[in-house]
Amino acid sequence: MKRMKLLSMAALVFVMLVVSACGNNANNAGSGNSGGSGQSGSNEGEKDITITMMVSGNRASEGEDFEMDVLPRLVKEKFPNITLEVQKLPDDQYNTSIRTKLAAGQGPDIFTVFPKNSTSGVNDFAKANFLADLSDLTFWDKIAQGAKDDMSYDGKTYAVTKGSSYLGTYYNKEMLESVGVTEFPKDWTSFLELCQKLADAGITPIVMGDKDPWVIQFGMYQIAANVVYPGEMDFDEKLQRGENALTDERWVSAIEKYGELYKKGYVVKNSLGIGSAQANQLFIDGQAAMIFTGTWDAPSLTSQGAADFTRGFDSLPGNNAGDPVYVSAATSAGYGVNAKSKYVNEVKAILNFWFDGESELFKSFNDHNTDISVYEGVELNNELFATLHENYSTTGNSVYFSNQMWPSGVSDVMQAKFAEIIGGRGISGADVAKAMYDKFKELWKN
Amino acid sequence: MNSTVMKKSLYLFAVPALIFYLTLWIFPILRLFQYSITDYNGYLQNFNYIGLDNYASLFQGELLGVALKNTLIYTIVSVGLSIVLGLGLAMLLNLKLKGKGVYRSLAYIPTLFSAIVVGFLWSYVYMPDYGMIATFLDKIGINADLNFLGSYSSALYAIIFVEIWKNVGTTMIIFLAALQTVPNELLEAGKIDGCGPWRLFAKIKLPLLATAMTINVTLSIINGLKAFDYPFIMTNGGPGTATNTLIYAIYKMAFTEQLFGKASALGVISFGVIIIITAICVTLMNKREVSA
Repeated sequence: MKRMKLLSMAALVFVMLVVSACGNNANNAGSGNSGGSGQSGSNEGEKDITITMMVSGNRASEGEDFEMDVLPRLVKEKFPNITLEVQKLPDDQYNTSIRTKLAAGQGPDIFTVFPKNSTSGVNDFAKANFLADLSDLTFWDKIAQGAKDDMSYDGKTYAVTKGSSYLGTYYNKEMLESVGVTEFPKDWTSFLELCQKLADAGITPIVMGDKDPWVIQFGMYQIAANVVYPGEMDFDEKLQRGENALTDERWVSAIEKYGELYKKGYVVKNSLGIGSAQANQLFIDGQAAMIFTGTWDAPSLTSQGAADFTRGFDSLPGNNAGDPVYVSAATSAGYGVNAKSKYVNEVKAILNFWFDGESELFKSFNDHNTDISVYEGVELNNELFATLHENYSTTGNSVYFSNQMWPSGVSDVMQAKFAEIIGGRGISGADVAKAMYDKFKELWKN
Repeated sequence: MNSTVMKKSLYLFAVPALIFYLTLWIFPILRLFQYSITDYNGYLQNFNYIGLDNYASLFQGELLGVALKNTLIYTIVSVGLSIVLGLGLAMLLNLKLKGKGVYRSLAYIPTLFSAIVVGFLWSYVYMPDYGMIATFLDKIGINADLNFLGSYSSALYAIIFVEIWKNVGTTMIIFLAALQTVPNELLEAGKIDGCGPWRLFAKIKLPLLATAMTINVTLSIINGLKAFDYPFIMTNGGPGTATNTLIYAIYKMAFTEQLFGKASALGVISFGVIIIITAICVTLMNKREVSA
């Protein structure tokens, strides 16, 4: 009898829980709709509101952080009734946290969205109806079409990108000159020759922090841009339709080319035991001549280390002599708006002000932006990227980062398997490609 | 009010606690079982039920085997060494030494740091060529080519060592506390009967430490089977999959590959493994416990 009573009480509690959970959902949906329709931009005399924003990245190491300090202040100046609360999390935590929050209906009003199929990418979020349609913002004609397309899904644009980024090779000019190389190589053979010369002179040619496995992508995608995609720029669309495979000989060849750098001992020995921050430090301390990474690492790679030297930045040339060098360039993360936000129109007003091309907020954004601007008329703000940027903008030879067209998870398998090549575990490029393709087939659902 | 009604109404007072328990503990666990038979990706609510496909693909793939093997090695080595070292330290610090309190505190200090801090520090200690160990060996003229975290054969043991370094303080404290409860009369009786230090330890102290042993072994086993912090902070499960443990594999599967369903299935399997191993150990050790 007692047991019956206890059980029925537990059952009652359970039912109450389920019912209240359903009720919550209904409430959310209701408030979301009302928020989306009736509101206009923020006028004087309107009630005070707080807009929440969650972005990925690390706080600026010195001075004011744009998103955390400048943005809330300048938004407050323009819209006195709006308080912007900003939270910034490192990429990994961000990706975990944002999806959980959005799934629970507790997402922030503005949040970082990555292009295409990346983790926390626009495709996934748009499919799940988490993002508000931003096609009616006023400044789209000022943003490069490609950058807009990368933030669109099914014909609607869902996020405003911060710009674009390049993958490249940071190099120590004086070290290259010390072995008689004054111009960065423009094809694979000359690149290998450069590495050999450096190695012969007792200089570590390349340092990579492969203990943080994602850095394996930084060299790999640059080579893939020159080996896999030229001649078939729609390789990945075909892959998604099942007409191409990652076991294609071009991918195998790209993987083996990158592996060659390790087999020949051009990459610092024991790279699997060095983290990415440690590798950056070794580069600025003058312990190695080159490092593969992206434009986003410029602040850390141009900071003062134990050695004084001039930095250069150019594409890792995976191409054969005589072929053009393709730049590995991709649209950077940007800002999307929560479809369930009560303040969609207010956020749109903020974005229109932010990217109007003349406001103090716009100027400050460009000053702080570490990405290459895709906004009409904004000059390149870092001379270091000039050579690569010129190749990109004059020839148009560029390929996005391959993982943007893969479901997230494929690049992890690529890294884990490629680490076995680095560790000399006797596997081939074809084995890596096969593992990548198996994971792709497991994860790709369309 | 008669006492039967009174007794029954007392159950009502358990309701608030029961609600918390059910919502925050039982309900999520049941959902884990539910998700494990779906293709849920972590946020799209229109998932499909796919039967035991997740389990089948886990048992066919190589990940489960690798993660299970790594986790078991992690557990066995860390339990064994931390018990031996913890007991050794406790015995040592139970002697009549000058400044005993200082040594006890020093041995306990690593436990106070967060895993993030410890992992970060040790990745610099282990760094090849430029790390603390490499620099030290270089200074004393040994030119060893060490790559603790980057080598397939040593990475797992390198992070196990950090785990032990951090947790040995806790093990020691529990043993130390238990050593205080060993009655002096028994030790004296032993001495009178002609026991040397070794027999005093093996025949009197050790049996009386059995309860502390059960606690320490159980805690270390659970800790080892749940290993996540150091693979996550120090090696990202690498090189390759050399330090990929069950819990780390679940995390990667759920949050990187967005296979929440499959990750839940792996969670259910890990849940089973942890329960079985812990239950066996606790039962075995309970039988051996004695009291003074």
